[in-house]
Amino acid sequence: MWLKVILSVGMLMSAANMALANEAHTPQGLEYCTVCHGSQLKGNQNIGAPRLTSLPAWYLSRQLNNFQQGVRGSHPKDTTGGEMMSMVSTFSDEQIAEIVSWIVSTESTKPAVSLSADAHKGEQLYKTCAACHGVNAQGNEAMGAPNISGLNDWYILTQLNHFRDGIRGGDAEDIYGQQMKAASAIVTTKEEAESLAVYITQLK
Amino acid sequence: MKNISRRQFLTYVGAVGGTSALLKTSIAMGLMKEDPFKGPVKVTPAPIKNKPSVLILGSGIAGLATAFELEQAGYDCTILEASFRAGGRNLTVRNGDKIDEMGHTQICNFDKQDNLFFNCGPARIPGHHKRTLHYCKALNVPLQIKANSSKMAYFQDDKFLGGKPKRIIEYHTDARGLMSELLWKSADSNTFNQMLNAEDVEKLMDFSKAFGDLTENGKYIGSERAGSITDRMLDYPQPHAPMELKALLDSRFWYGGLLGAELYDWCEPLMEPIGGMDAVVKGFLRHLKKPPVLNAQVKKIFNKANGVEVTYEQGGEFHTVTADYCFNNIPAYFMAGIENNFSSTYQAGLNSVKRGHLFKIAYQMKSRFWEDDGIYGGISYSADAISQIWYPSHDINAQKGILLGAYTWDPKHSAMFESLTPLERLKVGAMSGEKIHPGYSKYIENGISIPWARMNHQMGCGMRMNKDDFKTYFHLLQKPEGRHFMIGDQISHHSGWQEGALASSEQALGQFNHLVATNRT
Ligand SMILES: Cc1cc2nc3c(=O)[nH]c(=O)nc-3n(C[C@H](O)[C@H](O)[C@H](O)COP(=O)(O)OP(=O)(O)OC[C@H]3O[C@@H](n4cnc5c(N)ncnc54)[C@H](O)[C@@H]3O)c2cc1C
Repeated sequence: MWLKVILSVGMLMSAANMALANEAHTPQGLEYCTVCHGSQLKGNQNIGAPRLTSLPAWYLSRQLNNFQQGVRGSHPKDTTGGEMMSMVSTFSDEQIAEIVSWIVSTESTKPAVSLSADAHKGEQLYKTCAACHGVNAQGNEAMGAPNISGLNDWYILTQLNHFRDGIRGGDAEDIYGQQMKAASAIVTTKEEAESLAVYITQLK
Repeated sequence: MKNISRRQFLTYVGAVGGTSALLKTSIAMGLMKEDPFKGPVKVTPAPIKNKPSVLILGSGIAGLATAFELEQAGYDCTILEASFRAGGRNLTVRNGDKIDEMGHTQICNFDKQDNLFFNCGPARIPGHHKRTLHYCKALNVPLQIKANSSKMAYFQDDKFLGGKPKRIIEYHTDARGLMSELLWKSADSNTFNQMLNAEDVEKLMDFSKAFGDLTENGKYIGSERAGSITDRMLDYPQPHAPMELKALLDSRFWYGGLLGAELYDWCEPLMEPIGGMDAVVKGFLRHLKKPPVLNAQVKKIFNKANGVEVTYEQGGEFHTVTADYCFNNIPAYFMAGIENNFSSTYQAGLNSVKRGHLFKIAYQMKSRFWEDDGIYGGISYSADAISQIWYPSHDINAQKGILLGAYTWDPKHSAMFESLTPLERLKVGAMSGEKIHPGYSKYIENGISIPWARMNHQMGCGMRMNKDDFKTYFHLLQKPEGRHFMIGDQISHHSGWQEGALASSEQALGQFNHLVATNRT
């Protein structure tokens, strides 16, 4: 039946069913990911859903597993994390693997800076972060530190604050989260957190 | 006009000119307010050859009404709907229906019976929602009265009367009595002497006596208006003891449910479609030439020189379609995740529309125990997170019934429910219900919960803009950007009501007529 509808749409509206080069198709059953994370998982601040394109596969599977086991997202103040937790709790291991390879295949433009903060101040602070995340925030798997240069600044800010407030990284099983929680102590004010987020997002 | 009263004159005009003359004259004389709604916008008819095409994104009430009006005017409309079903927030569930909550898919397990359904979103229509009522009539959607308040229902607050539920009639009568007593006292103590002469003060005291059912010397000692603690048929009636003024002031009912039935949108009688609110959606679908394309999630919207290009994904395939015009019913806060070439101001306007958090629970009850308690419809109010319990006013005396067990607007309460599993939510709701109706839980056979801010393709209800954003962006979003129009209750002053969705559609079609006129010249 749907085929018929599509054909009639096509005929009446001169539709071109173009195969869009490079664009990742959403695996069936995973359409709801794009409801919040957006087309090609480009992110949507209105929902608090970050851009996922550019995150490495190993990091994605770790986080999805953390959400699934309640290692991440169970803190009562982590609203969006809690939402992800209930979403991921229904996934099988195969599905998680499928999601990861799909995310890695998506193509979306790197987000622009959205916060107004002093990137220079952020540059100073970032020197400590660079030890694990790399000078260009490209990440280092050996250190368990993901590429964060493609993340939205508002999301980096939220997560930094979550680490600082113990909302993320408080679970004993979240080994890397705990490290970040400790590392986030270099940030002491809201302004510093913002400038750091802005600095990371504007890196190439 | 000498020697003839205004009323006589009108009777005279009525006799000569028929009722419409009477009506026009009444309006001219300022006796009646002119209603701004005069039926749907007359859409500029499409040219017979080369029918222009229109894409409608989303099949909410606004999308359906827009498609309906445009089809009537000869346009070729295609509705793209992301969900597996049409209707958006207008959702009624029955046996076997899916509640598409993110992370917690629920299946409605009500018994398979016509009277066992639940309106998860809209449930009531007031008499002044002219647009909604217009479509009910035009689409043959039969309506019935829905009791939105029952004075026999309860108010319950752990911090009031030791948590004992109070019948609303008793609360109302006592509140009126106690307030009238204060009024009587202040009138007696010359407070109003500046404003009123002695005769007026006398009248004011009489008024307060009548209003509050006071004794001859201005005391409120309870009133038979709230019933009797004896059998009123066979014994002398004896009013229940009135509550203390202090207790009244401490209770949380007066700034919540007390005025519920007195708000303009809840003023009685209200109406509901027989058999469920989705009768409105079905009505539109019956009258549309082309059914909505389902499971078609829009991913890109691009304004082009002479039309709009939309890409949607369906079953893992991208489809790109073009049309002469586009009406967008998608919740505006999703647009940042959908590729587009809108101006940054227009996109900023879309981002200013924020998600709202409404939440409902419904239980299938083994028997209609509330009817044995004298409640036939209406609402009990709770100071707990559940906030409200609604009793069905349809299918009275049936064996079972669907009871609304929670309806929360407070974002804090909604957030609490959202974070629970469906089963946990039902348990929390049952605990609060017990306080109003002891034994409540044992009647529960099954239940569902609908957190609108967690529903697939919706993620919110009761969209809102803050005051400043409203000033900056509302009028901008009412106008088309290129050939793209935003619609939905989000583009109205009345989000959270179908009337707002329909008003937005009407407004957009008015703009459409302008645009078509300019394109033709
Ligand atoms: C709990 C509750 C109680 C309410 N009570 C009442 C009441 O008593 N009376 C009353 O009149 N109104 C009431 N309302 C309000 C009423 O439900 C809404 O005003 C009305 O249904 C909104 O219609 P809409 O046209 O704005 O669109 P919506 O219903 O928001 O529809 C939007 C549509 O867009 C679709 N969509 C989303 N993303 C995409 C995409 N990417 N591609 C394609 N399609 C997409 C969605 O699936 C949906 O179908 C209530 C609402 C709620 C939630």
